[in-house]
Amino acid sequence: MFLNTLFVMSALLTVVSAVLVLTTKNIMHSCVFLLGSLIGIAGLYATLGADFVAATQVMVYVGGVVILMLFAVMLTGGKDFVSKAQNLMGLAPTMGNAWTYGVSALVGLVFLFTNIQLLTRLGTMSKLKNDGAFESTVNKIGHLLVKDHILSFEISSVLLLGALVGAAIIARPRKQ
Amino acid sequence: MISLASYLIISMILFVIGLMVMIARKNIVAILLGIELVLNAAALNFVAYSKFVTNNLDGHIFALFIIVVAAAEAAVGLAIVIRFFQLKETIHVDEATQLRN
Repeated sequence: MFLNTLFVMSALLTVVSAVLVLTTKNIMHSCVFLLGSLIGIAGLYATLGADFVAATQVMVYVGGVVILMLFAVMLTGGKDFVSKAQNLMGLAPTMGNAWTYGVSALVGLVFLFTNIQLLTRLGTMSKLKNDGAFESTVNKIGHLLVKDHILSFEISSVLLLGALVGAAIIARPRKQ
Repeated sequence: MISLASYLIISMILFVIGLMVMIARKNIVAILLGIELVLNAAALNFVAYSKFVTNNLDGHIFALFIIVVAAAEAAVGLAIVIRFFQLKETIHVDEATQLRN
């Protein structure tokens, strides 16, 4: 039941966000919707029992790649981006308006109540028997990476080093 | 509900949308977003097959390497985008017509 709910929510988040990436006009909004889609894919990994891949997905994509994309969008905005001074009903200069603050307050309340519900059941949840449907894959993946797939592991480290140096060289400022 | 077919359908939708983003958008950063979607669709297929068909962890390993390659690709691609913007003052893909300067 829990797995089905997680699956449906993740699938809806993934597909709807992907469609919005396609249809929205603002490239900044596209990046944020891609974030939602990638989080949904991490949820799908979780329903497949791939806990390590889900955690890596969240760390690398949500923490790294999308932030990099947002930086690139902001660095290449050109003259298309016109900064509009927004304020909260004429009271103080803020980064949003009443609508965005209302939505953020709603989301914050939902997360707060969900966390309270979970935390109040923490004492009883730890007594539940683990039926062993999903066991942690971190141990096995670590062993596989340094035993069977050691060559591809090393090659990927060299690839990352090359990408680091290459990106720094390509994007460096040049004197004209 | 949770079967191989449902994951494959989601992956197919993601792949098609990523392809459409790559084709339809003229912004280079948006094209990179489409590439990310396509790579994620492939990685989702690998993990789904390793759960439902082969029952080992090789699909997980492959998904991890896909994530690594996608991160490297995004870094280099965005560096190229920033350099292109320094030269042309735009990131419209139709402006990229010559190989040097």
